[in-house]
Amino acid sequence: MFVWPLTVSVVASFTRDGAWTLANYGTVWRLYARDVGYTVGVAAAGTALTFAAAIPACGWLRVRAFGPVEFLLKVPLFVPFVVVGHALRVFLSPFAPAFASSWAGLAAALAWKHLGLAALLLLGAFRAVDEGYLESARQFGAGPGRLTRDVLVPMAAPTLAVSAILIFSSMLASFSIPLMMSRGGGAQMLMIDVYYRFGQHGDFETAAALGVVAYLLAMGAALVYGRRIVR
Amino acid sequence: MARAAALAGVGFLVVGPLASLAVWSLAERWTYPSPWPQRVGLRYWSRMLGSDFLEPLRVGLVIAVIVTVLALAFALPLGYVLARLRFPGRTAILLAFLLPQAFPQLPVFASATREFYRWGLAGTVPGVVLVHLVGGLVFAVWTMTAVFRSIAPELEEAAQNLGASTTRTFLTVSLPLALPGLVASAVLVFLYSLDEFTGTLLVGSPFVTTLPVYMYTASVGYELQIASVTAIALMVPGAVLLLLLERFLKAEYLVFFGQV
Repeated sequence: MFVWPLTVSVVASFTRDGAWTLANYGTVWRLYARDVGYTVGVAAAGTALTFAAAIPACGWLRVRAFGPVEFLLKVPLFVPFVVVGHALRVFLSPFAPAFASSWAGLAAALAWKHLGLAALLLLGAFRAVDEGYLESARQFGAGPGRLTRDVLVPMAAPTLAVSAILIFSSMLASFSIPLMMSRGGGAQMLMIDVYYRFGQHGDFETAAALGVVAYLLAMGAALVYGRRIVR
Repeated sequence: MARAAALAGVGFLVVGPLASLAVWSLAERWTYPSPWPQRVGLRYWSRMLGSDFLEPLRVGLVIAVIVTVLALAFALPLGYVLARLRFPGRTAILLAFLLPQAFPQLPVFASATREFYRWGLAGTVPGVVLVHLVGGLVFAVWTMTAVFRSIAPELEEAAQNLGASTTRTFLTVSLPLALPGLVASAVLVFLYSLDEFTGTLLVGSPFVTTLPVYMYTASVGYELQIASVTAIALMVPGAVLLLLLERFLKAEYLVFFGQV
C-alpha cells in the first residue's frame, strides 16, 4: 500500500512522456532550488528551537520532578498538526502578522508541535542517567542548569542526536502546518510545492522528482528507524 | 519560586496558542485592530452543533472505525508472528512497515491518488480508508509486535506442555495477556484516522470531508470562528487519550503519536 506508490513515484520522476530522462530534476533545479534550501533552513531552525526549549525544561524536570510542567510539555503531542497550524495562525496573526507568515513563524509553529515528542524522548534519556553522577556533581554545588549542561546532555548525546534527526525529518515533511500558515508568494516548503505541482499543474513527474529530493533529505530518519529493526 | 516560574513559562508557551482558539470560538465580532473581541457569545457553538459540522464528524467516525477494525485484524496475527518467529523476510516486512514513518508521506499519497483515479477510488470512502490504513497499519503492527514481545514465551510453552493446541494457546493465554496493549493499539489507530489530514485531503477531495479537512477549508476561508470550534472538537479525543495514557501506558506507545 505504501511501497508500491513510492516505487511508482520514484520511477515517474525519471520519466517524461514515456521516455527515461533527467528533465524532471532539471525542472526541480530551475524552479525549486531555492525552496529546497528554504525547507532545510526552516526544518533546521525549527529543530534548534525545539531543543532550545526542550533541553532546559527536561533537564530541570530531571533534577526537580514536577508533574504539572511535565504534563504541559506533553500536550502538543496530542494536538493534531492541522489544529496546530490553525491555532498558531490565530494566535500570532493579531499580535504579529508579519511574524506569523514568515519563515520564523513557521519554524516556531513546527517547534511547538514537536516539543511534546522531544520532551518524551529527552526525559526518557535523562532519566536513564544514573543518579550517582548527578549526586556527585551536586556535591560540588552544581544547580539544575549546570547539571543539565555538564552531565545530562553529554550522557544523553546519542539519544539527542537520534531525536534531532527524527524531528528534522518530520519537519521537512510537514504539510498541514505550512499549508495553514503559508502565504501566497515567496519561498515555500517542499511538500506545499509537491501538492500544488500535482494538484494544480497536474505535473505528476516533476512532483515526483520533488518527492524524491524530499526522500533523500529525510534519509537520516529512515536509517535511524532501520537500525532500530536490526537491533 | 522556580516551580512557579517554570509553570508560568511553559504554561504560556503551550497553552497560549490553544487559549486563543477558545477566544476565537467565542468571538462573535472581532475586527482588527481591537486587541480583544468586541462581542462574545456562544452563537458559533450553537450554530456548529446543529449544522454542517455533524456530517464530517459522522464520516470521520465511520472511516476511523473501519480503519481500526481492519488494521487490527491484520496486525494481530502479523504482530504475533513477528514477535515470536524468526523467519527469512522478517526484516523486510518490518522495514516495509516502517517506511511510511520514515519517509515524507505526501508525495507517496499523491502517487496513490493518481492510481486511485484509474480505479475510481478517488473521492470515495474506501479510497480514504485505504490511505488511512497505510499509517494505521504502521501503528498497529508496531504496537502489537511490542505487546507480544513483552509477554513471556514460557507462559505459552506451559500451556502447550499441558496439551493445548497452538490455536488454543493463542486464544486462551496470549490474547488475554495482550488485551490492554490491543486496546491501546486500537485507540492509537482510531485517533490517527480521525486526525489524518494529508491523505484525506488528497484522496478524499472533493467528496469525502472529515473534520480536519473541514477545519482547513474553514480556516483558509477566513471563517476563523468555525475553524476554531472544529479545532477544539478535534482536540477532545487527544486530550482524553493523554489522560488515559498517563495512567495506563508506557511511554513507547506515545512516541508513535508525535507523527499524527
